[in-house]
Amino acid sequence: MAKVQVLNVAVLDNPSPFGNPFQFEITFECMEDLAEDLEWKIIYVGSAESEEYDQILDSVLVGPVPAGRHMFVFQADAPNTGLIPESDAVGVTVVLITCTYRSQEFIRIGYYVNNEYTDPELRENPPIKPDYTQRNILASNPRVTRFHINWEGCTERMEDCENVDPSSNSMLPPSCLPGKAPPLGVLPDNSMDCL
Amino acid sequence: MKLLKPSWVSHNGKPIFSVDIHPDGTKFATGGQGEDSGKVMIWNMAPVLREEDEKNENISKMLCQMDNHLACVNCVRWSNNGLYLASGGDDKLVMVWKRAAFIGPSTVFGSSSKLANVEQWRCVTILRNHTGDVMDVAWSPRDVWLASCSVDNTIVIWNARKFPEMITTLRGHTGLVKGLTWDPVGKYIASQADDHSLKVWRTVDWQMDANITKPFSECGGTTHVLRLSWSPDGQYLVSAHAMNNSGPTAQIVERDGWKTNMDFVGHRKAVTVVKFNPKIFKKKQKNGSSPKPSCPYCCCAVGSKDRSLSVWLTSLKRPLVVIHDLFDKSIMDISWTLTGLGMLVCSMDGTVAYLDFSLDELGDPLNEEEKNSIHQNIYGKSLAITSTEAQLSTTIIENPEILKYQQERQNSAQANSGPGAAAPESSAPKLNSVMNGESLEDIRKNLLKKQVETRTADGRRRITPLCIAQLDTGDFSPALFNSVPILPSGSSMSSQLTPQLSSDSSPGQASSMGLKPTHDPMLTSPPPNNTAKPMEDNNDGVKSSLLLTSASKIEPMKALDSRFTERSKATPGVTAAISSTAKTKEETSSDSEDKMAAINKNLTFGKRKPELLLDGREVLEKRKKGRPRKDKMAASMAQPFTQVEGHVDDLKPENLLNSNSIQVSMEPSVFLEVENEVSMVAGSKLSQLRCSRDGRDWNTLLPSSVVVAAGSSDILAVACEDRMLSVFSSCGRRLLPAIQLGTPASALHCSAHYVMVLTAGATLSVWSVFTVLFSMKTTLFVSSGADTTVSQSLLTQQGVPVIGLSNGKSYCFSSSLETWTLIADKSDSLVQCADFRSCLPSHDTPVSSGPLAVMQGRNLNAGRLASRLSSTPHHLQQSMTLAFLENQLASALTLQSAQEYRYWLLIYARFLVNEGSEYRLRELCKELLGPVHKSAATSWEPTTLGLRKRELLREVLPVIGENLRFQRLFTEYQDQLELLRNK
Repeated sequence: MAKVQVLNVAVLDNPSPFGNPFQFEITFECMEDLAEDLEWKIIYVGSAESEEYDQILDSVLVGPVPAGRHMFVFQADAPNTGLIPESDAVGVTVVLITCTYRSQEFIRIGYYVNNEYTDPELRENPPIKPDYTQRNILASNPRVTRFHINWEGCTERMEDCENVDPSSNSMLPPSCLPGKAPPLGVLPDNSMDCL
Repeated sequence: MKLLKPSWVSHNGKPIFSVDIHPDGTKFATGGQGEDSGKVMIWNMAPVLREEDEKNENISKMLCQMDNHLACVNCVRWSNNGLYLASGGDDKLVMVWKRAAFIGPSTVFGSSSKLANVEQWRCVTILRNHTGDVMDVAWSPRDVWLASCSVDNTIVIWNARKFPEMITTLRGHTGLVKGLTWDPVGKYIASQADDHSLKVWRTVDWQMDANITKPFSECGGTTHVLRLSWSPDGQYLVSAHAMNNSGPTAQIVERDGWKTNMDFVGHRKAVTVVKFNPKIFKKKQKNGSSPKPSCPYCCCAVGSKDRSLSVWLTSLKRPLVVIHDLFDKSIMDISWTLTGLGMLVCSMDGTVAYLDFSLDELGDPLNEEEKNSIHQNIYGKSLAITSTEAQLSTTIIENPEILKYQQERQNSAQANSGPGAAAPESSAPKLNSVMNGESLEDIRKNLLKKQVETRTADGRRRITPLCIAQLDTGDFSPALFNSVPILPSGSSMSSQLTPQLSSDSSPGQASSMGLKPTHDPMLTSPPPNNTAKPMEDNNDGVKSSLLLTSASKIEPMKALDSRFTERSKATPGVTAAISSTAKTKEETSSDSEDKMAAINKNLTFGKRKPELLLDGREVLEKRKKGRPRKDKMAASMAQPFTQVEGHVDDLKPENLLNSNSIQVSMEPSVFLEVENEVSMVAGSKLSQLRCSRDGRDWNTLLPSSVVVAAGSSDILAVACEDRMLSVFSSCGRRLLPAIQLGTPASALHCSAHYVMVLTAGATLSVWSVFTVLFSMKTTLFVSSGADTTVSQSLLTQQGVPVIGLSNGKSYCFSSSLETWTLIADKSDSLVQCADFRSCLPSHDTPVSSGPLAVMQGRNLNAGRLASRLSSTPHHLQQSMTLAFLENQLASALTLQSAQEYRYWLLIYARFLVNEGSEYRLRELCKELLGPVHKSAATSWEPTTLGLRKRELLREVLPVIGENLRFQRLFTEYQDQLELLRNK
């Protein structure tokens, strides 16, 4: 089980103008003192099409992390507009917060982000060269994916934990359909009979 | 009998593999399959028991759910004290859960379900060892051990007081082990496996005691579980799936000789689970009927793959009740309430049934007292010796002292198991308290400005997170789990945990990513939305539709959704693994190097002197050939036993003979170096004795070759070839005139200011040097045959000489009795049969060390044979243990080894308390207390070996207080002690 549990992420300064930095206040809890720092990243998905347009807005190390409940604010500059395809400038995309420990990602928190014009005029007739205005992060609906990683740093264990047999749950015995059992034959004298 | 199927107890229709009712009867746990993980759920019992509670919306039905298991949970079991819950699953793990105090209801971050966990249960430890699915877990009767069995064919016994420590692995099964049960007496654990066998293992040495195969030879491995059960009186063990004449049965195995003559017959398919009612019953006395005593009986429930449940009383030939068609699929687990009248049954079909019996149907349950007396009759001891809550409720505590003591004990054992069940308001978060009065809100406002941000050497930002709460480690009971600070966590459960095998799929194929995509609507399919469908078909259309859809409405898309679940390419799993390996290797190697360096440093520091002397020694080596050989009479006579001083000798005893330098004392550090034939003066050989004490050296010359040398922190002694014994102070002053020994010295010991010489003529002398007092001289009595030789000799700090003979016997000379007394005999059958391990003090107290332990061998093999004698009647073993412990006490007394005396005294007292021998306890207390009123005639000594007897009594009393049967004794002596203290 993960040593670090993310308890909450508060999206600060939202909605805000596109050029404002992203601010996430992250609260997490750690079971035991961590030997190494956690690495947090904010990734802005420039285009749904391809990861090519992903921008890592920033990455920070967080540490030292003793056992306990901690919080910090992760602030990262707004994405570089020049790297975003024009066609994806307006509309829905995603911002991701990931956390890795010993270079293994164990949690990925995703938010839908809606970039839109506040001016109804511009909404109707978006300019050819988009000029970003408002960014709205759908803070109420985070999508959290947790990954099982090796926290101990010993690789044998890792094999054990990582390669969970995907079919392990299908090992249930065949469903027991009601059916008639063969007749029992003669019962021994010392048996207790309930037939 | 009443029957109820609470429909709200469900894992969303997924199979429920296990159910267990909490010992206090207020809640129960279920385990099984979750959405994409294993699931453990804790439910409120009240809505099951009472209809009005079920209808009352203010009473929460579900108390907590834990999705931390990666795969299906096969078994959930509460510890007998109710503080912990253990769960085992297909993810090969056993998790141990504990209720977290001070955390109120909460939802899981990012979880779709808004259903709050009313209680917070944190995983306090994860037990990893099994290499296959864990099928069953079981707590030992007193929660000392936790056993788990697995499809890897093994059973692992965990130390429940020191998780995650393993006691042992039981190997022997050749098939999947699917069920476990502890003997209520605590002597055995039984397991049933797919290898057509039921095995019984002894807890005393963890060896197999019985392997029962006959009733299982026809069985096929068709059941998911084989949950067997032991009757509460310990007399019968009932197996799951067995066959008799091609019919499925539950085999009854008698404890006496493991006979298999009886079985429960009637189920049409394999028996999956057997569960004994925890109570023993007796026939209900009807009004008017003659009150003739009837034989007590047990009650047993049997569940089968044929979906039916039967309940049996051992007094009846036919089942009490058989319920068919209770479920749509196989029964998986059964749990009785501690009252013995309620029972929960769960099934693969994902439902649970509750059965409620009346006293008329089952009979009168025996109370704890009666149950104990049954145990007492059969096994010679009561099982409820250490007080349980059940016993507390039936025994009246008569004295406030003992009540206080019992409460303290309970408090320390429970260490706030949390506020009352299902009382969220009382368990509000106490986070604010840790932050110097500043509220969380204030902190949050300024967090960005206040948080410490630094740059690492490679220029990266590093934020020091603000610690807003310590984990409530305080409630981590030291009584249980007193070991490493395993810090609990898990208030947020990952309901969406999706283990990924690879991360290089492209967007749009998200559904192939998850392990069980079909079970996973949350992750892969967007919320119901018509526009999502066409997009799925046409990925190229995503971009255009993006622009087309109204910007004000957020449209989840597959392509984007996939990004939520996919690991970033920057850190793919494989490279991560490799890099982390490399890192680990680097770390370990550098670590070990560091360690080596550190050790070397220590070594050079500690042994600086001998190393400095090395050169000289090498030169000497050649000359040493002419060194006098010792008299062979006393075999291996020169084994200076410097351990008497409790010091760890870096140098082996032989070093005295081979090298010429020994360290005789660590604190202060004293090295002794002997150089024979150092110079020839006028034809006579001179020997040199060099000594270095704390860096200051002195040396002296002796006219003859040194045969044996020894020293303590105070004195040094050497015996020479010419039978002269010289004694020097630590500064090199000669303390005694040269003593002429009758025969050559064979062993020489110094301890404190005592010198002991054992000569080849079998005489032993002890001198107290500072008082220039001759303590004793005695002739070794020649015992048992001529070939017995002295194999070990030592002198205690108190000047008591001890010798060990080659026949395994050790003696010490008691100056008060003026005779030799036997203190240890390795072949003593009492030693080997004594079983006092249950009375050993808790793990953290050091094992006894001292002359007695040295002579008896560090690994005192007491109890080694106990296992072999496990079939011997209890009272015999009890007597042997008692005799052994009394021997130990007497030996420690003669050896004047105070610490060991105290150690064995406490074990002895605990043993007496456990075995309930009041007379001896009373006599012991009386002796320790002494006369309350002083009179001239009393010969009572207030101290023994420098320990105040009344202080010892004060230590013994709490041990006595543990057993409520002795509360009068406790009170009596507690009062007298108080009285004496006030005087």
